Amino acid sequence: MSITITTTINGKAVSAGAEASTSLLEFLRDTLEYKGTKLCCNTGECGACTVIYNGKPINSCVTLAADANGAEITTIEGLADGDKLHPVQQAFIDTGAVQCGYCTPGYIISVKALLDRTKKPTAEEIEEAVSGNICRCTGYNKIVDAIQLAAQRL
Amino acid sequence: MAKAEFKVVGTSPARKGGVERVIGKGIYGIDLMLKDQLHGGILRSQYAHAKIISIDTSEAKKIPGVHAVVTAADAPDVRYGRSYFDRYILARNKVRYMGDPVAAVAADSPAVVKQALKKIKVVYEPLPVVIDPEEAMKPEAPTLHEDMPLPKNLPEGVKVKNVCSFAAVRVGDAEKAMAEADVVVNEVYETKMIHPQYLEPRIAAAQVEPNGRITVWANSQGPFPVRQEISKTLGIPLNNVRVIAAELGGGFGGKGSGITSGAAIEPICALLAMKAKRPVMIVLDKAEETISTTIRSGAKLYIKTGVKKDGTIMARIGKVIYDTGGYSGFGAQAGGRCTNMLGGWYLMPNCHIDGYVVYTNKQVCGPVRGPGGPQAAFAVESHMDSIAAKLDMDPGEFRLKNIPKAGDKIVGVPKLRDVSLGETIKIAAEKIGYKKVGAQFIAPALGKNQGIGIATGSWIESAGPGGGAVVKVNEDGSVTVHIGKIDMGTIPGFGIPLIVAEELGVPVEDVTVVNVDTDASPWDAGTVGSRGILVAGTASRLAAIDARNQLFKMAATQLECSPEDLEIVNKQIRVKGTPAKSVSLETVATNAHNVIGEVIGRGYFDNVAAVAEEKAHGSSQPFTTHACIVEVDTMTGNLKILKYVAVHDIGFPIHPVAVEGQIEGAAAMSIGQALCEQVIVDKDGRTMNPSFVDYLMPTINMMPRIETTLIHGYPGSGPYGAKGAGEIACVPPMAAIANAIYNATGVRIKTLPLSPANVLRALKEAGKA
Ligand code: FES
Ligand code: FES
Repeated sequence: MSITITTTINGKAVSAGAEASTSLLEFLRDTLEYKGTKLCCNTGECGACTVIYNGKPINSCVTLAADANGAEITTIEGLADGDKLHPVQQAFIDTGAVQCGYCTPGYIISVKALLDRTKKPTAEEIEEAVSGNICRCTGYNKIVDAIQLAAQRL
Repeated sequence: MAKAEFKVVGTSPARKGGVERVIGKGIYGIDLMLKDQLHGGILRSQYAHAKIISIDTSEAKKIPGVHAVVTAADAPDVRYGRSYFDRYILARNKVRYMGDPVAAVAADSPAVVKQALKKIKVVYEPLPVVIDPEEAMKPEAPTLHEDMPLPKNLPEGVKVKNVCSFAAVRVGDAEKAMAEADVVVNEVYETKMIHPQYLEPRIAAAQVEPNGRITVWANSQGPFPVRQEISKTLGIPLNNVRVIAAELGGGFGGKGSGITSGAAIEPICALLAMKAKRPVMIVLDKAEETISTTIRSGAKLYIKTGVKKDGTIMARIGKVIYDTGGYSGFGAQAGGRCTNMLGGWYLMPNCHIDGYVVYTNKQVCGPVRGPGGPQAAFAVESHMDSIAAKLDMDPGEFRLKNIPKAGDKIVGVPKLRDVSLGETIKIAAEKIGYKKVGAQFIAPALGKNQGIGIATGSWIESAGPGGGAVVKVNEDGSVTVHIGKIDMGTIPGFGIPLIVAEELGVPVEDVTVVNVDTDASPWDAGTVGSRGILVAGTASRLAAIDARNQLFKMAATQLECSPEDLEIVNKQIRVKGTPAKSVSLETVATNAHNVIGEVIGRGYFDNVAAVAEEKAHGSSQPFTTHACIVEVDTMTGNLKILKYVAVHDIGFPIHPVAVEGQIEGAAAMSIGQALCEQVIVDKDGRTMNPSFVDYLMPTINMMPRIETTLIHGYPGSGPYGAKGAGEIACVPPMAAIANAIYNATGVRIKTLPLSPANVLRALKEAGKA
């Protein structure tokens, strides 16, 4: 059964059809072609698919597209201001935290949500904010550096 | 080599391709979508070992929206493999692990694909399953490959079966030396199977062009090997196959190529596209990957060492049982490397090791990051501590007593050119908190249940083959570089642009390294074996120098001087010492259109010459020491890594931040294997933890800060004296952590992982919990 979903993505109103069982991740990637949000485990374990949903970071792979109806969603495509990168994006580049980069959009979204909540996060808050994001390339050192740098710059 | 000689290499500018990745516009394999594309899916065996009696695809073909269903009968009767041709892209007659591809479907939507896969009727005759490689070697074990002969080099009188390959180390007279030793330590270690678990699933997309050629998009580490496999298994000449590399979301050896990945999804996808006469894309599901693509093998390691009272190592006798799974995959290479490395990287005058690479009904061995090395090192470096304990010697001191010096040989390496091993041990000891008092190292005072552990490692880079690079100078003075290696956080984004910028006197921003397209890129084995900087780095440097020579030759005519008098600075070609006499790079590159057409520099890494050089002068391979402080919770078995240092000699670091990143990532992978990772297979061959819900990997909460120290050592054989850095940090972590547990509790754990349950069990058995 197809339903129509009306939602706001990165400040833009969108409306499109989806099956009742379609995940928000599939809806974003396959229907709307927001491919910056990544698919990995599809079970809510890795954070590659993180988007901001009404101000909170969520795993879009385990969220139904239907739940996006009337919601405000921010994806990685919505962070930069034209050519000017969001400070979190810039910090990930500057610290060498982007190896393959596949986990990066999910991290940046989680960190943006954190820094929207608190400007001066503690080490514990940083760890907590990205504890649901897996990176297989970096061993996490440079990701922590990036988050700290972004927090400093904000 | 002094850093000051260089302007660009040795600095760490932002990664190329960083911006598109942080804004969500990096096009990874999984982001592709071809016009009119169908979705492909693979039917995998539900038995770990069975005869295929029949496959009936008629019902599946009738489903509306299904465009093609293929089985082995649709493909040429050609087997593939790295050294042993023991496998079909789709199983023929038999399946040998639960996950073996049997059939494939192309349909309008993923839902229809699923439906069609369910409708394919395969009649199997189940066969006895063997999971443990030592069981598989026994005469009563089921036979996995009826038509694969036993290796010819098996020692005389050895009665075994299911052995895929055999490796032997024979140095001196180990039996005799062992008998003469003062102290003998005899142990058995075991490591488990892990999956590389790159985050981006494997994909393949294929389309038949109007002229009959086939284009395949792959997120593989080796586009050229993929091209070769498609060509071989489908019987299409190489010039009619084009493989285009998509960005890779990680690989770690698991995306080595179709053959060694054990996935063969590229040829299967191409076959579907040919049958359906429509473009097809296959995306593997993560859980499907865990059960079907290649893994780091588990290994059983028997290790016995004889030493003199003063700590001099006399002899080692060992045996490696290396589990290659249902097919040979990369087993012969990884198992061979593991066998050599069980001989260690210390002085070893007498050594006798037998390495058996054994077929079992499990996932197939792949070239996962440092293939064979971490397993061997877990045994070797844990064992070194056991020997030191028996001798009542400090583990660091015992190691230092046995380190080779320049000109010495170690097992598997006839001659070392330089040895930074001792230096890495000393620096790591200091960084982890040892105080040097005279010649003695004094361990730091630690809290209750805390222990300190060190472990060393080395890695061989001379595995071959070579590879090329093409450097084109465009008419505006910008530079386009073609290499055959892909970017997965590796050299195309980090080191190569610096090398080319250095040699051509252009800003790094003006250099573009384009992604691999087998129609245009020079041949290369792919981003594998820590050989990125060695092969493509050398090739790019030589190609840039070749381009520079062409530019200088043309500029010399114009400036009325000799090419030797010229230099390029900031895109100006000028006479050394007379900077006013100059012409812009842009002008010379533009004028080239009228003379040589285009400035195209060509370079290559000559592996034959490199091997000859190594034979003559010795190997200048990387060495490392890791050290850590671990706290053991004796109530729960939980480990906390309080401090972790990694000291590496990787020669000259071309992009130090990238090198650190490789070291941190590789160390994290082995720390994961030490603490929690394992693919668990039950007695029927079923993977018990295929999804990320059950397959535990290190998260940020588990990982210590890895404090990396780079020492330059003797120049490596790469450009500017660089050495490969992608794999070696996988070698020491498991033993370093196990040694710290031993230091904390006196309990030696010889089987991975060092999970809370396993640690607690070991502590209880020793009466320490
Ligand atoms: S893809 Fe959603 S959490 Fe992994
Ligand atoms: S950068 Fe590759 S997974 Fe994080």
